[in-house]
Amino acid sequence: MTTTTTRPLQVEAPTLPDQEELIRRLLSDTPLLKDTPDHLLQVVNVLESYGLVLDAYSRNLVDQGEKQLLNPFPVMRFFHEGITVQRIWDHLLGDRINFEYAEYCQKAMFWHGTGGLDAYLDSEAFQQACRTIIQRKSRHDPLLAMTNRLYPGFAPESIRSLTTIYCLGLFWRVMSDLFIDLARRYRIKEVVSVKDVVHHIRDGLVAAAAHPITYKVSIAGEEIWVLPPEAGLTFLVDVAVPYVEAVFFRGMPFLGTVSYNAQARQISPDISDFKYGALYADPIPSMGAGIPPSLCMKDMYRNLPAELNRWYDDHERGQVDVHVQICVSFQKSMFCVTNGAIAGTMPHVLDTTDPEEQQANRAYAEHWTSRLMGCRREALL
Amino acid sequence: MYLSLLLLIPFLGALALIIWPGSASSARLRELTIVLLAVQCVASFALLLPFDPDQAGLQLVEQARWVHVIGLDYALAVDGLSLPLVLMNGVLCLVAAVASREITNRPRIYFALLLVISGAVNGAFLAQNLLLFFLFYELELIPLWLLIAVWGGANRAYAATKFLIVTAVSGVLILLAFLGLALVTGTMDFSLRPILSGEMGMTSQLVLMGALLIGFGIKIPLFPFHTWLPDAHTEASTPVSVLLAGVLLKLGTYGLLRFCLGLFPEAWQVASPWLAGWAAISVLYGSLAAIAQTDMKRMVAYSSVGHMGYVLLAAAAATPLGLMGALFQMVSHGLISGVLFLAVGVVYARTGTRDLNVLRGLLNPERGLPLTGSLMIIGVMASAGIPGMAGFISEFLIFRGSLQPFPLATLLSMVGSGLTAVYFLLLVNRAFFGRLAIAAGAVVNPRILQSVPLREQVPAIALTLGVLVLGLAPELLSGLSEAATTSLSQLSGGLS
Amino acid sequence: MVVSLPWASGWFRRQAHRPAAYLNILLTLLAFVHGSLLLQEVFLQGPVDLSYPWLTVADLELDISFSLTLNNLVALELITGLSLFSQVYSLGYMDKEWALARFFALLGFFEGAMSGVVLSDSLFQSYFLLEMLTLSTYLLVGFWYAQPLVVTAARDAFLTKRVGDVLLLMGVVALCSFSGVMGFGDLYAWAAQNNLTSFAATLLGLGLIAGPTGKCAQFPMHLWLDEAMEGPNPASILRNSVVVTCGAIVLLKVMPILQLSPVALAVLLVIGSISAIGGSLVAIAQVDIKRTLSYSTTAHLGLVFIAIALQIPVLALLLLYTHAVSKALLSMSVGGVIASTNCQDITELGGLGSRMPATTTSYLVGGAGLVAFLPLGGFLAMAQGIELLSVRSVPFMAVFLLTNALTALNLVRVFRHVFLGDVLIKSRRAAEVNWQMALPMVALSVVVVLTPVLLVRLESLDGLLAFPLWAAALVVGSGLIGLVAGAVLPLSKAWSRSLNPLLRWFQDLLAYDFYTERFYRITIVNVVAGFSRLAFWFDRNVVDGVLHGVARLSMQSAEGLKLSVSGQSQSYVLTVLVAIVLFLTSVSWFLT
Repeated sequence: MTTTTTRPLQVEAPTLPDQEELIRRLLSDTPLLKDTPDHLLQVVNVLESYGLVLDAYSRNLVDQGEKQLLNPFPVMRFFHEGITVQRIWDHLLGDRINFEYAEYCQKAMFWHGTGGLDAYLDSEAFQQACRTIIQRKSRHDPLLAMTNRLYPGFAPESIRSLTTIYCLGLFWRVMSDLFIDLARRYRIKEVVSVKDVVHHIRDGLVAAAAHPITYKVSIAGEEIWVLPPEAGLTFLVDVAVPYVEAVFFRGMPFLGTVSYNAQARQISPDISDFKYGALYADPIPSMGAGIPPSLCMKDMYRNLPAELNRWYDDHERGQVDVHVQICVSFQKSMFCVTNGAIAGTMPHVLDTTDPEEQQANRAYAEHWTSRLMGCRREALL
Repeated sequence: MYLSLLLLIPFLGALALIIWPGSASSARLRELTIVLLAVQCVASFALLLPFDPDQAGLQLVEQARWVHVIGLDYALAVDGLSLPLVLMNGVLCLVAAVASREITNRPRIYFALLLVISGAVNGAFLAQNLLLFFLFYELELIPLWLLIAVWGGANRAYAATKFLIVTAVSGVLILLAFLGLALVTGTMDFSLRPILSGEMGMTSQLVLMGALLIGFGIKIPLFPFHTWLPDAHTEASTPVSVLLAGVLLKLGTYGLLRFCLGLFPEAWQVASPWLAGWAAISVLYGSLAAIAQTDMKRMVAYSSVGHMGYVLLAAAAATPLGLMGALFQMVSHGLISGVLFLAVGVVYARTGTRDLNVLRGLLNPERGLPLTGSLMIIGVMASAGIPGMAGFISEFLIFRGSLQPFPLATLLSMVGSGLTAVYFLLLVNRAFFGRLAIAAGAVVNPRILQSVPLREQVPAIALTLGVLVLGLAPELLSGLSEAATTSLSQLSGGLS
Repeated sequence: MVVSLPWASGWFRRQAHRPAAYLNILLTLLAFVHGSLLLQEVFLQGPVDLSYPWLTVADLELDISFSLTLNNLVALELITGLSLFSQVYSLGYMDKEWALARFFALLGFFEGAMSGVVLSDSLFQSYFLLEMLTLSTYLLVGFWYAQPLVVTAARDAFLTKRVGDVLLLMGVVALCSFSGVMGFGDLYAWAAQNNLTSFAATLLGLGLIAGPTGKCAQFPMHLWLDEAMEGPNPASILRNSVVVTCGAIVLLKVMPILQLSPVALAVLLVIGSISAIGGSLVAIAQVDIKRTLSYSTTAHLGLVFIAIALQIPVLALLLLYTHAVSKALLSMSVGGVIASTNCQDITELGGLGSRMPATTTSYLVGGAGLVAFLPLGGFLAMAQGIELLSVRSVPFMAVFLLTNALTALNLVRVFRHVFLGDVLIKSRRAAEVNWQMALPMVALSVVVVLTPVLLVRLESLDGLLAFPLWAAALVVGSGLIGLVAGAVLPLSKAWSRSLNPLLRWFQDLLAYDFYTERFYRITIVNVVAGFSRLAFWFDRNVVDGVLHGVARLSMQSAEGLKLSVSGQSQSYVLTVLVAIVLFLTSVSWFLT
């Protein structure tokens, strides 16, 4: 065999945009992601499939919030569409959306615990609500009564977790609609560039920003407010921002790539230092062992628009590594979402002429870009 | 006539390929070769029908006078010792042809040479005349040399020349020993059976056997005659490596059993303690040298040195069990090294490197080579003697058969078996475990790693299945050969 | 038939991701039920032996044989039962795992090998299956193959066990050569009337104990268990409980043969004692929650080794069974902590107790079952042990008591760190684990509580409870001392290392496991690496050098080995010519 094989390739590290460049892009309303037709195609389509997945996730989480309160064996918690033999069969065979991933995100959000929602979970009002719920529930549930007596922390913590589940469901409802609307506008050519994508997300987030977040459960016909309207929790600040913090930035270390060994000290003791989120993740190990987002990639693959699927066919290994390709596109799209979120929360309009406001904008951009510097900036190329 | 068929198919096939009119594409020629070798393979397995496993002696004897004046007669026969090797030759040549996908340079000659090798090896295993054996033994040498020299890697000239010179020396030594045998016995008959060394003096026996031993020792190869092998493997293409390790080395071990042990049982008995020691050194040396390798293919090549040492150990002990183990080891090593070389070949073809300091994380399910990795893991585990696979049975039989006559050498060889696990684990852990590097700054760019279609893996999967089947149902093989190995052992007075 | 059930699950590799898991669980359940039916039958009708010929060559006869005795079947039930629990548990622990099918396939393979080991009635077969266990341990530890520490852990697990296995193989081969038989019954008969030299018997004995030493993670081959904790927790559950049990059961089966060699028995005692006390001490210095348990496994198996060395199989089995269920439960609980906090460092955890009922309960019950304090399994085993030891060897009684106290101390220390105390950042928000994990925990807790009852049903009642009061008092006393010491021990989160330099040195020594790993790296690894480099150098310079020299001489030209491509055909012709001339001259010389 004459050597027709490829030589080992010493790949040169691409030049990544530096912080100054990122600040410039943010302040000049240029998308962080390079504005190319390929990027547009990937981002819009992958967000559409993500939107469809989020739709299912969101319905499920909201349903769980409504029905699974203090259920010790929530065996059927993934059957928000109702239980049929066919569905159970598909569920067992794995022919379904992997709701486990939604719970994984919820867990990240719950565990990192930042923002207004988390603060409210420790408030006296919330604890009072918990007491009421437990008391009402215990009347018909001796197991709960006993557990609560022996382990008083258990039930309130479960309610906290379920509250986060419900709120994440509400959050994803908005995001799902936003992403599916993006795809609609893309098809009617209202969205023709990555910049339009960022604008769409920014506007959507701004529009939903003040959306109130409330949660009410009913026990034996009696309705109890877990998150009452008076708590004043809103969509953007109290749920969206903590979600971005927990899932996009911090994340949780993957067992498949990081050792939990305490003596090896691979994981920082300070969880605010965590850099395991979506913007930091390496897409290559996707679908490997111990990489939870593989589930999400699989779900998105189930809902992949034909256009993007065809595009993947012509790139890299085609269908063989389609999940990795989805992950790469997904990371790009998450940079767009982050971009939209930063743009939406800018202290002042970008074209302000007031030097003080300009300064404030710049400081805000600096703050965010300094975090983005450690992220996988090669996704932006 | 039946055995001649096994020679005629490949030889006539090779001729046909050469004179095939018009220009045939490489793919076409490959298909033709595959068909021919498949027929040959089926014909080899068809031998099982008339073959009587309970009979120790030669079967299906074919004889014809040829150049009778110099004692060269055409005589073929098969027994329990040669039959498994003929079967393996049939399988591995077919595998090699199937694996020869990317032959663009003079495919016609390439495939013809492949066929010639296949026929010559069959001839050598079946020959019952010393000169006929020698003819076939030399006949496979030239095509293999060309396969390395023309279709090899960058440093192929050096490797091929080294191979040629060293194995030519091996041939000369063997020829000298055969001629000397005739000289001493004073007959002109080179047919295998009537030659009895019984009346010879021990000195001449030892000298002649020594010449044979070194001759075959080079081929096997045993330390210190082994250095041609890693070089040849490194430069040879994958199919050639499969043949080289799987079939051609077995000519050496076969010769060891058939001629050294078979012709000079008394001298063998005298020399056997030294041989056992030599075997242990060869095993340990091969294993240790393998640990230091960073080239996957060289590592597998050195493992052959170690694993062929077991055969010498068992042959030295010459117990029925040991000889069965030796035969088992020849077959299982043939299959296992086939798997390993095929897997290494895939890695090299896809990444462009075999350097263990560079490769990482190839088990990655979508961007790596997961199936190749799985086959590799099975292959190395089989090679390391994990039960359930063919390698274990052969090692167990060899060790069990050799422990009583040569306890120390056997224990040292077992250490070598432990070392096998060390280097092969290094290989798997470095190349397949870990994280596949991402594009930026990485040495291996996953972008160029193309996936491997399943059909390209069929040969390796088939061999792996063979390894597992033999490992779980060893009776399949032992049943065929027990009579033959036992009688061979009795010949030398069986040291047990 | 019995063994084939869990094995079958191995076939369903990688078909899909979840069905394989369910199928595996179903088959395990089937194996468990089948096993218990068999147990019933054997209980009533006595043991049965099954044997099928496998390979007969020359004077070697190898059979596939199973011995369905009460003890073996109980062990089988233990294995299938705990496998069942841990497989259900995996559904929860690994619910975000994409490679679930591969994991379950490996678990099935693992379980099959273990079931085979305990039922095996031939040493050859036991070896065969132990090696498969080694392989599956390698693959299970290496499950998260992309994680760097997993890579080294899998390697070390395999190689350490392999060292033990190769020594065991030597023993097996030697035994096979000497006796010519492989069935345990035949071997016992042979051992009873053997006439080996004591040297041979010693080597044989050492070979035979090497394998189980590796499998049971005993000193000096204990390193792998610590590193194997990099693997998925459900596999760690099995590894901490039943895998080590398998190793010990093989040792039990060769026990009558070991009697040939007093040296081997003495070595066994030394290994056991060092492992028991050393393991307990090292466990106390660990900050990693999984490792605190794995070293305590080493310690308890050390006790089992002592029992076997002193030829008290009843005690060994009692210790094994009680340890297996309790340790499995503890491991499950620990997995629950890890799953809900993403953290294995006990100094970073705290205050989980009131929020995680199932996890906390199983830790408490598991701990109580392990430590001889409350009248659960561990207590029965220990009390029995003290009584049996008191008539044989008083010093080892002390080892037992000390190990018990240290284990209690360690468990209480971990409990205080993790479940009590202030809530720290990583345990601030931690809900109870999902039901697939909680259910097996609760179920196994019940089993652990019921262990004494089960044991009493197996043994005769008076046999098991026939220990004197003083033995019970000693055992409870040692447990109590450990408990109190653990409870009053000052715990510091930020300064887990002592400020006192001497103490700190000692602490580090234990925390890094007497620097065993470094010791191996400096000694064995370096030696092998050195020899391999030497061999390679020798190859490059001496062997090749001589070859090149010869080549130069014979070709009369230094260019001989550096032929250009165009020179190839000439050299080919030349060589062929030389060969033909040589051939013809020799023939003609011969003819004249």
